[in-house]
Amino acid sequence: MLKDITLGQYFPGKSFIHNLDPRTKILCIVIYITVIFLIKSFLGYAALAIFTALCVFSSKIPVKFVLRGLKPIMMFVAITALFNLFLTNGRVAWQWGFLTITYEGITLAIFMVLRLFFLVLGTSLLTLTTSPIALTDGIENLLSPLKRIGVPAHELAMMMTIALRFVPTLLEETDKIIKAQTARGADFESGNLISRAKAMIPILIPLFISAFRRADDLAVAMECRCYRGGENRTRLRALKMSYRDGFGFGAIILFTAIIILTNILSGRLGLV
Amino acid sequence: MIKLSDICYTYMSDGPFEKAAVKNVNLTLNSGEFIGLMGHTGSGKSTLIQMIAGIVKPTSGKIAIDGQELYAKNCDMRKMRFKTGLVMQYPEYQLFEETVFKDIAFGPSNMGLSEDEIKRRVFFAANLVGIGDELLEKSPFELSGGQKRRVAIAGVLAMEPEILILDEPTAGLDPAGRDEILCKIKDMHQRLGITVILVSHSMEDLANLTDRIVVMNHGELAMFDKTAEIFKHSEELKRIGLSVPQITEVCSRLSEAGFPIAEGIYTVEMARAEIERILKSEKS
Ligand SMILES: Nc1ncnc2c1ncn2[C@@H]1O[C@H](COP(=O)(O)OP(=O)(O)O)[C@@H](O)[C@H]1O
Ligand SMILES: [Mg+2]
Repeated sequence: MLKDITLGQYFPGKSFIHNLDPRTKILCIVIYITVIFLIKSFLGYAALAIFTALCVFSSKIPVKFVLRGLKPIMMFVAITALFNLFLTNGRVAWQWGFLTITYEGITLAIFMVLRLFFLVLGTSLLTLTTSPIALTDGIENLLSPLKRIGVPAHELAMMMTIALRFVPTLLEETDKIIKAQTARGADFESGNLISRAKAMIPILIPLFISAFRRADDLAVAMECRCYRGGENRTRLRALKMSYRDGFGFGAIILFTAIIILTNILSGRLGLV
Repeated sequence: MIKLSDICYTYMSDGPFEKAAVKNVNLTLNSGEFIGLMGHTGSGKSTLIQMIAGIVKPTSGKIAIDGQELYAKNCDMRKMRFKTGLVMQYPEYQLFEETVFKDIAFGPSNMGLSEDEIKRRVFFAANLVGIGDELLEKSPFELSGGQKRRVAIAGVLAMEPEILILDEPTAGLDPAGRDEILCKIKDMHQRLGITVILVSHSMEDLANLTDRIVVMNHGELAMFDKTAEIFKHSEELKRIGLSVPQITEVCSRLSEAGFPIAEGIYTVEMARAEIERILKSEKS
């Protein structure tokens, strides 16, 4: 299960999407997410699916790898869908005891599932094609106008870099601890909910201890090198926009226009 | 008997970071043997022994322990894991209990043993690795690095496995502590007749302790033979980033210099006996 977590996992490559400026990608993903919540019809979702598929293909990352990011959220998606299915008011489609499903509920549940899927697909595509360093550089740069009103942009970006940097490390550590405790006969699979929760203790305690130790070591190491904030720091890789980013913005604007068009169209034709 | 047939293991299969760590390994280890396992860093030693211990499932191939195939339908994996005790590399991080006693007792109590038996085993194992009774009520996090290591090893020894697997158990310990622990393990091996698999980078330790040695190179089985035979191949070992015990090196230099010393000497005791024999025969 651990290996399904693709969050913060970078898939190196040289595709068009990989080479976009991280700022472009972040802005595009913000637009993309906003657009997802604007879509009102299945026609719009079809357009969204085509656009997302084009992005995935042009990133040259194996589709299987991108889809793997969906696995950990399956449970969450299922619960959300059920809530929408049973708790939406409207025309009754099916009834059994106190359980009612409405036509509106069915549509809403499908929309919700699609939204969550595309949300995760879009964001995994961002982290898969952007190295953590580039990502945080981009965020810092985009947030830097806010420095004037006292937003600690550099510190926030630094914290994010460190957090992202330690995701794989902690996963590896968890894997090792699980192995060691399994070898000592720890049982994570059987028993009721409480005994299963208890079975996590031998994993969580060593994990926390090692995370604190790592944080401490890192703080000492940074202090030893006289690290201090963002003022006057220069970068090894300065961010630079190119003609590609023009294409990127063009594509996302075209996409937004198409979605708005589908909304108008489906409104005229009375489609859902 | 441990029988590995065509064992392969690939980390992060079908991704950009795919890594074949163990490739087509065939091995048969007898019960009661003291087996050494060596190979350069990243040669797949840890992966291999984790598969034997039933912690990691091979990507392909079969492992059978005393005729019972692991991961077969009729195989109770938990029971099999009690048969094999694995001390992982740098096992300190596995400590989590409030007291050293409770931590060592974690394995035995998972086995469902009685209170008295658990107590006996904890004292036995703590004693074996040189953890005094006064430390048993301390928190494991108050101990020194070396003591933590000993507690972690005791946690596995207390399960009294039939097959004891140790992954570089003495890396980072002081020389006295290292010799002491290895000596106790050898003693346990002889007294209880258990099978031991020891991963080590110390040619001296392997020479002194093992009956047979498995040599890994880039995930493949490079050599598997009696300890004496392995150390005859000093050129081959050096080529794959390993070496022979220093005393073997000394003997081969002596032989090159015209001293009529026999081949295949790999412990200091053997060298001393041989040199004494030669000196005696020269006198007479
Ligand atoms: N959890 C893991 N994820 C990915 N690759 C790994 C992991 N553990 C080990 N490897 C890789 O597998 C190979 C064999 O590793 P390992 O069995 O630990 O070797 P050894 O113990 O001989 O040093 C190495 O190249 C290592 O980088
Ligand atoms: Mg190793």
